[in-house]
Amino acid sequence: MIEFASTFIVSAIQILLMLLATPLVCGIIRKTKARLQNRRGATIFQPYLDLSKLMRKEVIIPSTSSWIFRITPYVVLASMLLIALLVPTIFAPVPFHWMGDIITIIYLFAAARFFLALGGLDAGSAFGGLGSSREMSIASIVEPAMMLAVFTTAVTAGSTDLSIIVNRLSTTQASIIHPSHVLAFAGLFIVTIAETGRLPVDNPGTHLELTMIHEAMILEYSGRYLAFLELASQMKLLIFLSLLANMFAPVGMAIDTAPLSLIVGVAAFILKVAILAIVVALVETANAKLRLFRVPELLMVAFVLSLLALILYSIIGS
Amino acid sequence: MFDTQTISLGIEILAATILVTTFLIVSSRSLMFYVRLFAIQSFLLGLVALLVAVGFGETHILIAAILTIVVKATVIPIALSKVIDKIKVRKEIDFTINITTSLLLCALLVILADSVARPILEAQRMSDLAVFKVLPMSIAVMMIGLFIMIARKQAVSQIIGLLTMENGVFLSGLSITYGMPLIVEVGIFFDIFVAVLILGVFVFRINQTFDTINVDTIRRLRH
Amino acid sequence: MSVVYFLVLLGIPVAGAIVCTLLRRRRWFEYVTVTSTGLTFLATLWLTSLVLQGATIMTPKGWFFLDALSVYLLVIVSGSTLVVALYSIGYLHRQIRNKKVDGSMLRLYYILLNAFLSTMMLVLVSNNLGFLWIGTEATTLATAFLVAFYERESSIEAAWKYVIICSVGIAFALFGIILTYFSALHVVSSADNALNWSTLIAVGKQLNPDILKLAFVFILVGFGTKAGLVPLHTWKPDAYSEAPAPISALMAAGLVNIALYALLRFYILVNKAVGGSFAPNLFIIFGLVSMGVAVPFILLQRDYKRLLAYSSVEHVGIIVFALGLGTPLAYFGALLHMLNNTLAKLVLFLTAGNIRIAYDSKIIRRVTGAIKVMPVSATLFILGVFAVTGWPPFGLFVSELSIVTAGFSAGNVFASVLFVGFVATVFVGFIYYATGMVFGEPSRHDKKGDGDTLSLVVIAVLVVFLLVLGTMIPTMIYNFIMRAAAVIQV
Repeated sequence: MIEFASTFIVSAIQILLMLLATPLVCGIIRKTKARLQNRRGATIFQPYLDLSKLMRKEVIIPSTSSWIFRITPYVVLASMLLIALLVPTIFAPVPFHWMGDIITIIYLFAAARFFLALGGLDAGSAFGGLGSSREMSIASIVEPAMMLAVFTTAVTAGSTDLSIIVNRLSTTQASIIHPSHVLAFAGLFIVTIAETGRLPVDNPGTHLELTMIHEAMILEYSGRYLAFLELASQMKLLIFLSLLANMFAPVGMAIDTAPLSLIVGVAAFILKVAILAIVVALVETANAKLRLFRVPELLMVAFVLSLLALILYSIIGS
Repeated sequence: MFDTQTISLGIEILAATILVTTFLIVSSRSLMFYVRLFAIQSFLLGLVALLVAVGFGETHILIAAILTIVVKATVIPIALSKVIDKIKVRKEIDFTINITTSLLLCALLVILADSVARPILEAQRMSDLAVFKVLPMSIAVMMIGLFIMIARKQAVSQIIGLLTMENGVFLSGLSITYGMPLIVEVGIFFDIFVAVLILGVFVFRINQTFDTINVDTIRRLRH
Repeated sequence: MSVVYFLVLLGIPVAGAIVCTLLRRRRWFEYVTVTSTGLTFLATLWLTSLVLQGATIMTPKGWFFLDALSVYLLVIVSGSTLVVALYSIGYLHRQIRNKKVDGSMLRLYYILLNAFLSTMMLVLVSNNLGFLWIGTEATTLATAFLVAFYERESSIEAAWKYVIICSVGIAFALFGIILTYFSALHVVSSADNALNWSTLIAVGKQLNPDILKLAFVFILVGFGTKAGLVPLHTWKPDAYSEAPAPISALMAAGLVNIALYALLRFYILVNKAVGGSFAPNLFIIFGLVSMGVAVPFILLQRDYKRLLAYSSVEHVGIIVFALGLGTPLAYFGALLHMLNNTLAKLVLFLTAGNIRIAYDSKIIRRVTGAIKVMPVSATLFILGVFAVTGWPPFGLFVSELSIVTAGFSAGNVFASVLFVGFVATVFVGFIYYATGMVFGEPSRHDKKGDGDTLSLVVIAVLVVFLLVLGTMIPTMIYNFIMRAAAVIQV
């Protein structure tokens, strides 16, 4: 009974933390970018305000669309929340880790992407289809790259269960951090940039028809639906950042439910994610948007780096 | 201070990062980016040398470490970016081998490098070498440097390829021998530095006489 | 005391280079350079007599040393440099008259010539393999601007190609040296000695054979590039045809020997450590391939300086092939061939320089009737052609004959037959082009004029020397070569 309660409480904290932190991360990135561009920028809490405003707005549904259009925001957000339950943030193993391993997570992302693409097509506008096709073609390289990168750590820890990986990496000696992780980290970082639609792959700040990918798919959404999709895409960013932070540097990760270690876990998590968010902002500021046909080259770098991480792991051994 | 294991781990991680920088060079088109990546690569290499010097008490390599950071990570990159500024060519435009294929080929080169390194490591007993794991990576850096020279046509890219190759050789030396005797290392440094200066002068001259530094356009001499 | 020898040997050309930077008058560059190269040559002769009387000379830390093999090459290289310095005087005077060279270029030329000599000396006196590497790379750097001397498009391209290809090759060699050092560190107690050739030879059998084999492959690629072994020879025709004639001559006569010397040192080491036929077989294969690939390029050549460059590729092949045979007779033949090839290449490149100035063209078909335009140079040129193709009574006949004999008696019948075939084919091609150039009617009479007397006398002396080596090798030289060959036979 106590076990059940603690499982419940920890999971609740996890989900709550993810939900609450998500817009904040987005705010931090925007603020950092603004500062780097010599602007004052909006407050870091601006995304909360945006979301609450969107929630209150009217929903307009294109007359050509079907039920898929309406179901998409829920599916996408639900997938992200599910993943949020599986990704270790402050505590490993997460209570529900038996529900699914890395492969489940990758497929949940795929499911979300699939529905998003369908939603884009279903709206019937030209831009939706354009965004969907771009998104899927990028995904064809991004997914294998992400798998390879994550598998490198999986091989190191000897499990595909994310919580077990993080747990093993944080409880054993520093020597378990392997040089190949440097390459996997670099690969996964590029995947993060591509997956979450940041510069130089996609520009989250504009709606320029020539270049937009993610924004093109959700162009027809409004009100509550748009809020869900925005929240889902921001959450995706946070999920990736926590993967980066916890798989490659599981410092401060709580391994028991004692209040003190949980507090340390929360603090370490916030710190790591904030640092990564600032790095993302730096990368976005330092790079210009790539032309679309150049994007596969960048993704190829991620793929090769991740592949190389695995090769290097097998070459060097543990 | 630290035990040998921790220091070797640090060196291995630095070496892996050096490998990442070489892949980034392969993935890029901007000459300025090549130069910056090369500077980072050399800086990391200097840190490796520094770790070897301090961590394993190989003080003779200390000067080589400082030279790497001063010459390869600072002076040569500055000189090369001056060259790029002057010749007003900033991008590698057409490739012998396109970037995607290049990247995959370079991944294959890493496997090849391992097959070269393995017999070397198996031939000697490894117990007294703390950083032998770096050898395959260093050979890979060498090979990728050579690959850059084959796959890229701009003169500056070729210089970067050559320097990357030299960095790979230096890293391999650090890995299996903790570096050559001081006087030899200093001599090698001097040679490399002069080679870069001479090549830099040639880039200027090629640029003056042909208005381009695409090495391909000047291949008029045939057998 | 021994340090003084090396200081003198390396110091004279360095001093020559430094003095040239300070001078302003044209004449003085020439005096200084002739003095410095002459003194270096005399110093090598003096050191040779010391080495041949006693044992090896070595500095206390073992960085530098001299044995019969290194002094043999020292004499060849410094002698060639002296010849080139004497020839350069008249050659550059004519180029100044043709407005192709000005005063500052002249100074650069003489500074770099001195520097080139000092770097070659450094390679030859190095016992420390690291210094050997440094010296070899330095020869590339010293000659880079000499190849690009005329600053034409093609000469800058040739120089670029030369520096890039040789630097890549030499980087491989450095890796090979690191591997050698690595295997030595497990055997030699002091890390400072572990790079010394003499130390390594002493512990040869204990070195790890697998690592040394791999190291030798890298070193063969590295110094093979410098020597111009196929398929690493691609810089050679460009650099040789674009550099000023005396520099091409010195590259074909000096630089080639430097690279072969470096290869030879490792060859001896690897034979000692690995034994068997690993290194010899590599040498035989590379040698034959170099000869074989040079043949079609010689037969289908439009440019006579490139023709000579491919001849250089062929002869490097011959020497490497001979070293690969591994019998005393073959070693003798190889070393004798080094000397003969050096003399023949000097004669050919220097007379070709005269032809180039008179006709202002490198194209074979543009040059006809040279015997009427420039009787002495043309005669020397055709004699040089006969010499370089292994025609009796010139020295190359003797050395090639001893190499073939060694090949047949070592049982390498197939390889030796190929060798003879290649040499014969090259002979046909050379004679065809050379007779076309020398005989017939000159098309233009306006440029009638031969080289200066001094350089023609020097070249004539070389031809006489080739004749002497082909008829009756003086006992002194014979013994000298035998002493040097004994070093290879460790």
